[in-house]
Amino acid sequence: MPVTERIPVDEAVERARAALSGRAEVTSNQGAVDVTCARPDLVGVVQTLRDTDGLRFNFFSFLSAVDWSEYPVEEGEQARELEVLILLYAPERALHVAIHVPVPFDDPTCPSITSLFGGAIWHERECHDLFGIVFGGHPRLVNIYLPEDFDGHPGLKSFKLPTRSLVKEWPGAKDPDEAAAGGR
Amino acid sequence: MHIDIVLTAWQMLIVKLLVILTLVPLVSLVGGYALHKELAHLQHRLGPMYPGGFHGVGQTLADGIKFILKEDIVPANADKTVFKLAPALIYVPAILLYLVIPIDKHLIVEDLDVGIFYILAIGAVAILGTLMAGWSSANKYALLGALRAAAQLIAYELPIVLTAAVVAMLAGTMSVVGIVEAQNWPFVLWPPGIGLVAFLVFVTGAMAEMTMPPFDMPVAESEIITGAFTEYTGMRFIFSFFGAEMAHLVAYGAIAATLFLGGYKPIVPWGPLEHIPGVIWFVVKVVLMFFVMIWARFTWPRLREDQLQKFAWKFLIPVSLLLILATAAWILYAPESLWTR
Amino acid sequence: MVDQQDRTVKWPEDVAREMSEGRFDTAEMVLNVGPQHPATHGVFRLLATIDGEVLIDAEPVIGYMHRGYEKLVEARDYRQITNLVSRMDWLSGISNELPMWMALEKLMEIEVPLRAQYMRVIMVEMNRILNHLMFFASFGAELGAITPTFYAFREREDIQFALEMATGGRMHFGYMRAGGLKEDVPKGFFAQALKGVRQVIARLDQYENLLIGNEIYKQRTLGVGVLSQDMAYSYGVTGPIARGSGIDMDVRKDDPYLVYDHFDFLVHTAPNGDAFDRFWVLLHEVVESARIVEQAIEGIPSGPVLGKVPRVIQAPKGEVYVRTENPLGELGFYLISDGDRRPYRMKIRTPSYNNVSVLPPVLKNTFVSDMIAILGSFFFVLGDIDR
Repeated sequence: MPVTERIPVDEAVERARAALSGRAEVTSNQGAVDVTCARPDLVGVVQTLRDTDGLRFNFFSFLSAVDWSEYPVEEGEQARELEVLILLYAPERALHVAIHVPVPFDDPTCPSITSLFGGAIWHERECHDLFGIVFGGHPRLVNIYLPEDFDGHPGLKSFKLPTRSLVKEWPGAKDPDEAAAGGR
Repeated sequence: MHIDIVLTAWQMLIVKLLVILTLVPLVSLVGGYALHKELAHLQHRLGPMYPGGFHGVGQTLADGIKFILKEDIVPANADKTVFKLAPALIYVPAILLYLVIPIDKHLIVEDLDVGIFYILAIGAVAILGTLMAGWSSANKYALLGALRAAAQLIAYELPIVLTAAVVAMLAGTMSVVGIVEAQNWPFVLWPPGIGLVAFLVFVTGAMAEMTMPPFDMPVAESEIITGAFTEYTGMRFIFSFFGAEMAHLVAYGAIAATLFLGGYKPIVPWGPLEHIPGVIWFVVKVVLMFFVMIWARFTWPRLREDQLQKFAWKFLIPVSLLLILATAAWILYAPESLWTR
Repeated sequence: MVDQQDRTVKWPEDVAREMSEGRFDTAEMVLNVGPQHPATHGVFRLLATIDGEVLIDAEPVIGYMHRGYEKLVEARDYRQITNLVSRMDWLSGISNELPMWMALEKLMEIEVPLRAQYMRVIMVEMNRILNHLMFFASFGAELGAITPTFYAFREREDIQFALEMATGGRMHFGYMRAGGLKEDVPKGFFAQALKGVRQVIARLDQYENLLIGNEIYKQRTLGVGVLSQDMAYSYGVTGPIARGSGIDMDVRKDDPYLVYDHFDFLVHTAPNGDAFDRFWVLLHEVVESARIVEQAIEGIPSGPVLGKVPRVIQAPKGEVYVRTENPLGELGFYLISDGDRRPYRMKIRTPSYNNVSVLPPVLKNTFVSDMIAILGSFFFVLGDIDR
């Protein structure tokens, strides 16, 4: 739909605060609404943001994750671990909302929003593939990019890209004969 | 100058065999080159330029040599006997079609009494070859292609048969030379209407029989690669796919020219035109048919399989049946003076 | 006829009896479309379960070209990343560089001079024409019309020649920098660009007639692969595909960036959401792009092409999301910077990823040939999906 109502970001922040009534922390960042909420509240928060008149963030942009473990922490700030980042868009207002959901390393789970947005199906698979986050309620959580037997989650900062001397052995067969005999 | 050559029956047989076995591959070669060049120039490019020195005349010959030198691969899971036999069932009927094509009144390999009947029957054998190729390849794409081909070729046999029957009715004979002789004015121009519609239906059916676009679902290159012939390589591929297509194209073009355009007779029975030898007329008509069919071929996208079938069963076949009725009515009720035999 | 499951032989009489009783035991076949296939644009695999000629289920399998961009960029300077991200949507190389530099400029608060902004618009719109013409070529070829391919490539030649004059590349350019462009364009660039663009406008009627006006083409694409608006919203489909379903969304108009608000152009939408509409939108966008390039070349001011930038390109700490209208849809870069010369985390939101994720519901219960038409009308580039 063409943009029907252009409102300043602060107004949108106010509306979001009113709608979410304490379930999440709402600020603004670089022209977009910024929401931080806890994992159990995620589905409710996303549904509120999507369905409330005056907000209507019903366009799915992306869902990804951020590994904050190597981010330089200032004084007074807490070190963050993993975070699921969801970006939604309200076409009528040309506004974005970024939803941050902190996820600890020792329990990398998060509820799935596939029931609200179909696009999340692939994006959550990608998160699972690259960061190891398990999304509860996802219809089919299998790797999307990497092979099923891949060792590790490359998106995490703890997975270092190997330099040439440390490269892992090629796991498959090297000769056509080996391949015929059953190597990959 | 009149030379009397008297040969025994066996010697005639050998001469005829030699003529056919050199003519048909030659036709495939020349047809292939013409196809490349026509396609290229209509698509704003040049086509083959290097092989053979002058404007790429050696292109198809070079292609043929390349294909002969390729490795002969038979898939491990394929049904080997059927797989190897299928190309023969596709190419040999194409060769046999040339037996009854009249280049001039006496330049025909064998003027069978059942000329048209023979053509239609032989043309149908290629369906079997395609099915064999697809089924024996042990490849799902080949299977899809073969089944599509079977459905399509059977569906489009009928318009060809019925319009050929129209011609046979008008000419009063099934012999090919007899049909040409019966065309003072070519059948496409007279009887008015019936001939033109029959001609168009025949050409459409022929293009579908050769699985040429817009009817090339069975060999839809962007979907099922080459359909029934996906697993074929080298000479087998040429014989079943490309060579057969060229041979069929020229053959059906010649048959359409014979049945509807007047064969080796001039296009209209006008005095000065009758001095031009029949061979020239025949070649001109075949080249024209070839050109038009290739032109149609690359202009249109392909019809989907069910649309293709609908087109055949719900449109072409009823039209062909109506044509038969109309021809019968014409023969029975049109006054003798209108018949320009 | 050997039945694979229980190894009993079915005689023709049995089959005939079953058919007359209404229960013909057909088996479903799992067909792998790709990863090597002429119709899928790149190494794209579709696991199709077909019953005869009807597709019961289609599951795209991607990742054959996954290069791990989001990990690679964390170890690279921003200027090195420019060349990396050029290779995502490789049909319009410079459109991929643009949002990244815009994100950086937003964080660093660098002002881009007006001439550089006009030049950026010209380059991006020319790339849009290249991209759309490529899809025009491939869509026709997939349906069996092989001629439009050659006409489209003829038009692309002039535009690529112009781009080569300025940047040295025909596909991947590496031309943008923080604060503007690498260098100014040579003499004769504008003349060549205008020539190329005007030829495209002049010949567009021919293309429309050749393909869109064709009866068979209409039969193959009308009503095929309908994408509803709700589904597009839910899956995040953007670009000509979304506009073909009637969604009036174009970042250039909704959230104008660069100098798009100086130009007069239309955003085309089509109501039905089938393959015909998507392709119609694509063709008409080419005309709009050509008009933008003409207006930009006429109005371009003189001046520097590189703004004031610090010697070391280092973004301060912060997070920002910048999006642009890539020819395929909305391309967005979510940049998290920790004050270093390299990004801490750069999430690349590519249009083709979302556009292709909507394929399973769209492909249900279509014919195999329709699947090809739908895949062709969904304008995706593998580099964009797989990153």
